[in-house]
Amino acid sequence: MASNKPVIVRFYRFQNRLKEKTAGLAPGNTGISREALEAAEQALTKMSEDYPDWVSGLVVKLQEQHGRCVDSPEMRHDCFEEINHIAHDMKGQGGTFGYPLITSFADSLYGFTVKRSGEITDNQIELVKSHLDAMRAVIKGRVSGDGGEIGKKLTDSLNEAIEQYQQTA
Amino acid sequence: MSDYDFDRVNVLLAEDSPFIRSLLVNSLKVLGVGNVFAVEHGGDAIHFLQRVKNEPMKIGVQQIDLIISNWDMHPIDGMMFLRWVRRHKDSPDRFTPFVMITSYTEPERVLQAREMGVTEMLAKPFTINGIGEKLISIIERPRQFVHTKDYFGPDRRRMKGDVPGGVERRVLKDKSEGVEIIRG
Repeated sequence: MASNKPVIVRFYRFQNRLKEKTAGLAPGNTGISREALEAAEQALTKMSEDYPDWVSGLVVKLQEQHGRCVDSPEMRHDCFEEINHIAHDMKGQGGTFGYPLITSFADSLYGFTVKRSGEITDNQIELVKSHLDAMRAVIKGRVSGDGGEIGKKLTDSLNEAIEQYQQTA
Repeated sequence: MSDYDFDRVNVLLAEDSPFIRSLLVNSLKVLGVGNVFAVEHGGDAIHFLQRVKNEPMKIGVQQIDLIISNWDMHPIDGMMFLRWVRRHKDSPDRFTPFVMITSYTEPERVLQAREMGVTEMLAKPFTINGIGEKLISIIERPRQFVHTKDYFGPDRRRMKGDVPGGVERRVLKDKSEGVEIIRG
């Protein structure tokens, strides 16, 4: 019988539609077999190996935008927006696939291409190029992890470039 | 043991990174999921669900069985999307299981998602086993939904006897006044 008292809590208890859909109504245990999981894990590993190729593709796109910045200074704000967008895509998962240097370089590139007012100087365009060079070196040399000596060298020279160009920006 | 048949399952995936998106789509496909609808961010996901509600024949899906969403997306992130699914009047199904993928695993972030009614959290970097476990948990151990004045979502207590601090603070039982049970 309906009560006039206010409802304090409602509990919704539904039939397990998803189970009916995936396991059918047949009795017995259902699950995901080890074989199926292993096959999927292998597929994932294989796909992850494509990560450097994917980054290379994005570096090419960045390069195109850099070229436009040089050729058409009036387009620089648009180009920076696009560069910023690509850098955002890159920075998220470098670490996940064994390339934390890509994440760190992309993060830096992302940081200084964030939308701003005012002129975008030639030095800032040069700085984009320094980032691209560093990323290309990582991918070309398959510099995974922190990259040891090479990694440190790449990071240092990028930081030097940042310092140099920012002072004169 | 026989394998689940995910062939008729419809998954909506919101992930802004094209690379991660393609990894997730392919992983789900390899596990046998029949339909994966992938979008770039929460805004696109909301738009997609509105279409599921308003023109299901046109987009060829009547119901989304599972939502998998990244947290950190722009302009509409995973939390705003989750809030919409659970609370908005236009949401086609406020009970849809919702898996949030995130590299934020600090307890307060997890708590924040839980209070918004998340079903499961999947930490990045994810593995197939991780995805598999979440799927099994959603299928085998669905939780009742709870609606109070300040919460709507899956019961935050997963198990019977799962009592915080060992003290039962819930005063309302099924038969108590003020408790309404809706079955379906």
